[in-house]
Amino acid sequence: MSYFDPIYIFFAVPILLIIYNLVPKKVRPILLLLFSFGLFIFISKWLTLFLILSIVSIYFIGIFLDKLNKKRDLLIQDNPDNKKEIKEKYKKYKKLVLILGILINVSFLFFFKYLNFFATNTNLLLNLFKINYQLKVAKYIAPIGISFYTLEALSYILDVYNEKIEADKNIIRVSLYLSFFPQIMEGPIARYSDTASDLYAGNKVTYNNFCSGYQRILYGFFKKLLIADRLNFLVSTVFDNYASYSGATAALSVIGYTIMLYMEFSGTMDIVIGTGEFFGIKIPENFRQPFFAKNISEFWTRWHISLGLWFKDYIFYPVSLSKSMKKLTLKARNLMGNRFGPLVSGAIALFAVWFLNGLWHGAGYTFLFYGMYQFILILLGNIFEPTINNICKKIKINRQNKIYRVFQSIKMTFFVFIGELFFRATSVKAGFGMLKKIFTNFHLISTFKSGEFLKIGLDGKDYVVIFIALIVVFIISLLKEKNHNIREEINQKNICIKWIIYYLLILSIIIFGAYGFGYLPVDPIYADF
Amino acid sequence: MERLIEILEELQPDVDFRTTENLIDGRYLDSLTILSLVAEIEEEFGVEIPTVEIIPSNFNSAKSIWALIKRLEE
Repeated sequence: MSYFDPIYIFFAVPILLIIYNLVPKKVRPILLLLFSFGLFIFISKWLTLFLILSIVSIYFIGIFLDKLNKKRDLLIQDNPDNKKEIKEKYKKYKKLVLILGILINVSFLFFFKYLNFFATNTNLLLNLFKINYQLKVAKYIAPIGISFYTLEALSYILDVYNEKIEADKNIIRVSLYLSFFPQIMEGPIARYSDTASDLYAGNKVTYNNFCSGYQRILYGFFKKLLIADRLNFLVSTVFDNYASYSGATAALSVIGYTIMLYMEFSGTMDIVIGTGEFFGIKIPENFRQPFFAKNISEFWTRWHISLGLWFKDYIFYPVSLSKSMKKLTLKARNLMGNRFGPLVSGAIALFAVWFLNGLWHGAGYTFLFYGMYQFILILLGNIFEPTINNICKKIKINRQNKIYRVFQSIKMTFFVFIGELFFRATSVKAGFGMLKKIFTNFHLISTFKSGEFLKIGLDGKDYVVIFIALIVVFIISLLKEKNHNIREEINQKNICIKWIIYYLLILSIIIFGAYGFGYLPVDPIYADF
Repeated sequence: MERLIEILEELQPDVDFRTTENLIDGRYLDSLTILSLVAEIEEEFGVEIPTVEIIPSNFNSAKSIWALIKRLEE
């Protein structure tokens, strides 16, 4: 099942929209919840029970935390002289409740995603030390989107704990926040304050919302069917058997995989956000022209934004600004100065972020390697930033200059390609093998002459379609980067031009989309994480 | 406020902190610069900035940072 399934998007969702508009406003959130659970059960069957357990746990943990907050405030009001002691005492109580909530939700995630990896590696260690005991290794199918909804669940209880939000007493709203059907497969990892009130508002589906939603959905289809699905065969063929191909073909498959991943994931986000628009629900954006970033650090504020923000708010700052880290920062600043001093605690927090980020994507060494690769790049970028700045000043290069900015984006994209190579590689060893092949056995001209580029699932027509579609996406991205609100600009065009654009989009998907015989549709890649 | 501007200018000399209103959204201050800034502010003004206060709206301009310091001093 994928959001690109025509039965889902052009049949099930429109029927839901009709019923949604017919039922009274109060019933609409319940209808959304029923549909969401229906889809969840359709995909994950009895494993839906774990989603329900997560919902129930955060609902009660939230209420309990809220009660502790209120009780603490009342006590302080009655005993203002003991404010500090009361605060400390209740902070401890709250921490215990929070830890319970975290343990419940993380244990489900650990059981389904990491137990197998943990058991395999523990057995390897036991063997190494010649201990005659083996843990049972078993792989369980996880509930769909468990990595996404678990982070949402944690953000909810952490926000109540930090008193950013009040606990919700309405279990339907909490359930909808965690299970809203467009988000269950690939996020984005929204915060409770982002979507909860819209989800429960029960606003009618208007003609404008309907058109606007499908406009966004069509763009998602364009990216997925014209580009991502067309590249799938090339990627799986070369990555799974890179030794049989030249370095140039391996490089092409790495570029192809990066493009495919972006088009699949951002295309899915177009469908998710477009579906939210039907109901007047503003789902946060997950991408912002990532390949225009000037360095890897910025790239991660533009790619999978919701995941980056989650790690920043709940791991990076809490770790780097904890009491012990602040002490370390002060000591390091005295020793190393203002620029490099905070880098010490920053590096420790960054390590935690990227270790967990890698692990979040999957229990495997390729993902851990990928995380560590990003960590090292970001850290080196920060260490050398002042030096590069000084060199540029000395040789009079204006870093705001357009040519320099383009150079920065190209350099950044090159490093992204290498990261994605390891992300997709069948093992870290295979990743290095592929990298070696690219740098030592490139042979572009002989590969071209041998016709190898046409023997990997792409013919001349495929290359032309991908190239033209990428130019379209590039122009749209460039306009967005220059702060053009393209959708608003199209909406303001007269009805003829508007519909010509829509028809061109629909026809290009129907005529040039990679579907049917001979094509291998990309599975929702991020749904597996 | 003047001392705050001085601290900010030491960390990022090329930014006009008196007028810029999108220090976070415009990526003038990245996460690691925020760490330096928090350490400097805590030392200079004797306040403790909890992690929940590290949100764009509190750090997008010198004015909003100053308002945060004043609020924490109370």
